[in-house]
Amino acid sequence: MGKTRIRNHIRKLRFEHNEMTQQDLAERVGVTRQTINAIELGKYSPSLEVAFKIARVFGKPLEEVFSWPEPGEEEPDDPPGG
Amino acid sequence: MPMSFREKRAWATLIALVFVLILFWLHIPPTRMLAPPPDMWVLHVLLLMIATFVAIQIIVAVVMRIRSPQDAGTPKDEREQLIELKSRAIAWYVFVISSIGGIFVTIHAGANEVGLGFVVLFSFVVAEIVNYSMRIFYYRRGF
Repeated sequence: MGKTRIRNHIRKLRFEHNEMTQQDLAERVGVTRQTINAIELGKYSPSLEVAFKIARVFGKPLEEVFSWPEPGEEEPDDPPGG
Repeated sequence: MPMSFREKRAWATLIALVFVLILFWLHIPPTRMLAPPPDMWVLHVLLLMIATFVAIQIIVAVVMRIRSPQDAGTPKDEREQLIELKSRAIAWYVFVISSIGGIFVTIHAGANEVGLGFVVLFSFVVAEIVNYSMRIFYYRRGF
């Protein structure tokens, strides 16, 4: 399966938040660690509810955690999920 | 990536299904399944296999709950629910196609009513094997 087009900065944000582990984030959001891993790697697009919960954990607006690039648009910041 | 609790359960169920299916075939070969004699032997074997499957599932569930009680109590999240739905949808098509196709074939092969029942049961088991195989596939892939 190809990666989703939704990009995210979860990994970077986790490290900026005292190197929060995937397990910590998963517990705070209410999903499994494997789901956080799949979202980070761009393999799974979370529902709006989970996306908002993740953004709330980091204290950021949704669009600073997730983005939807135009076709052909490069994401210089992070790789998908990075 | 380490397996989640539900992926481990899916593996356990898949192995139990295959194990019981092989055990069933060892007792009643497919040729005998088409037109089983009208005795209780076939029914007893069938009930024994179902009981074996249920027993394996209970033992696995208890062992896993003891080993990781926190994971066992965690509700399914949205990704796990979607994986289940996708796998069941595929398994449903497998069940419908294999049971209808199997009935047509076995009628022409001279099956009796019990034999037709076995075809539907066999289709159900195959569909469940597909169901749990797909779950494992999606869990391994991420989604």
